[in-house]
Amino acid sequence: MPNLGELIGSLVALIGSQVAASSLRLGPLPAVTIFSVGLVLLSLVARPATRWTTRDLGRLAGIPRAMALAAESGAAAGFSLGTAGVARATSAFDRMQTLAALPILGFVARAAASAGVPLQVTANDPVTVHLAEAVLAEAHRSTQTPERAERSGAQYLGEGRPAVAGMTLADPSRPEATFVAGGLAEESLLLFEGTLPGASWTSVGTAAASQAASVLLTAEGALIGPELYQASSDLRAAGHDRTGVLASNRLILAVIAVLVIGSALALAAGVDLAGPLAGR
Amino acid sequence: MRRSLPGATVVVVGLLLLLDYVIINPVLATLADLVLELVVLLAAAAALAGGVALVLRHWTELVERRGNPPGSLALLAGFAVILLAGFYPGSSGSTDPAVRWIVAALLAPLIAALFALLFVFLLGAARRGLTIRTREGALMLAAAAMVVVLLLPLGGSAGDWLASAADWTLSVPIGGAFRGLLIGVAIVTAVHAARVLLAVNGAEE
Repeated sequence: MPNLGELIGSLVALIGSQVAASSLRLGPLPAVTIFSVGLVLLSLVARPATRWTTRDLGRLAGIPRAMALAAESGAAAGFSLGTAGVARATSAFDRMQTLAALPILGFVARAAASAGVPLQVTANDPVTVHLAEAVLAEAHRSTQTPERAERSGAQYLGEGRPAVAGMTLADPSRPEATFVAGGLAEESLLLFEGTLPGASWTSVGTAAASQAASVLLTAEGALIGPELYQASSDLRAAGHDRTGVLASNRLILAVIAVLVIGSALALAAGVDLAGPLAGR
Repeated sequence: MRRSLPGATVVVVGLLLLLDYVIINPVLATLADLVLELVVLLAAAAALAGGVALVLRHWTELVERRGNPPGSLALLAGFAVILLAGFYPGSSGSTDPAVRWIVAALLAPLIAALFALLFVFLLGAARRGLTIRTREGALMLAAAAMVVVLLLPLGGSAGDWLASAADWTLSVPIGGAFRGLLIGVAIVTAVHAARVLLAVNGAEE
């Protein structure tokens, strides 16, 4: 029976013999290139921040100054999380953009909380609104400004892309600093027209390739295509897991309310609420 | 442990749905259906809560005469009308003729009118683009003008030449740039999804 030393010795010998029997099929340079591509991809996943930053993406570096100016003028800031949401019936590409926008919202919310600027977040998906509220709460916790939390909030504008565009166009308030980040489609220009004019600081980001022209034409700070994710990676986030837990706590309350209301309706009037809700 | 629990939940649920997508197994299918039904119920509950919050917010603004009272009144009236049409005794819900009429006669024209504003706003955006980002804005508008010229409905050999040039422009330079953008977005979307799944947080400021 071989002992441990003999086992390790045989393994090393096996590896050595295999290495000795091998040769590079494509030569040194192509082999190094192929391995490098794998390493770069792994690095992209494992390393949160981008390695090379050549410019201020989306003018995000100037957000603290924008918030300071808004605080001086006593104005508010607005942030639209796009129209894709995370629980709406849209493509996964669109929904992922909403998740990518949350770290940017967190960055803006921390700057707004520090400067004492009310930040109003809008979305057309209730789950996204809960996530936004969690991000705002986390921003006030991390900046130790809980007394300012009540002035900021997230608002559900209604279901559908046209509803958001119409509600935004009809909203008379014009924040001093305005941000739009997330999934957008053909309603993007309407959304921008309702949010951006009158603001002294505008920044827009979306990975929707078809909306690149609208973004470039309307906002001073633009995050186009992959830049939305790049900027999102460069910012310190509360972490999607923490945001998810905070939002889940709020959602649990909503679920309990629905359960209580549904049970009461079933007992009182024999109405089955679960069936229509689950689409049965 | 406190931090890893949500991440672990996401990974387990993601793997379960992925396995159900790849492997045919009754137990996996039952579990995946259960998870999906829970998600649907959760989203539905959130949608109800969102609707209630929307009504409460505008009702409060209307009562306290804050914000935009006419807008709030219009929203609440619209909400009431569509609920009435979908829930009156004997109604067949979203397929009821009254609901269909409201959608076809009111909502669809309203949405069409809203999107008809795009042309006007596009001109405004072009002007603003030239103001705030001169170089990129001018380049984009020059390219847009070129495409408009290429797509002019002209006849004869000049029209044929313009049509073939428009096809080439759309399929080669513009198509190439668009595909490049889409490939880049697809890669970073996959990377971002992996980061969310692995609970990899952003960098410290």
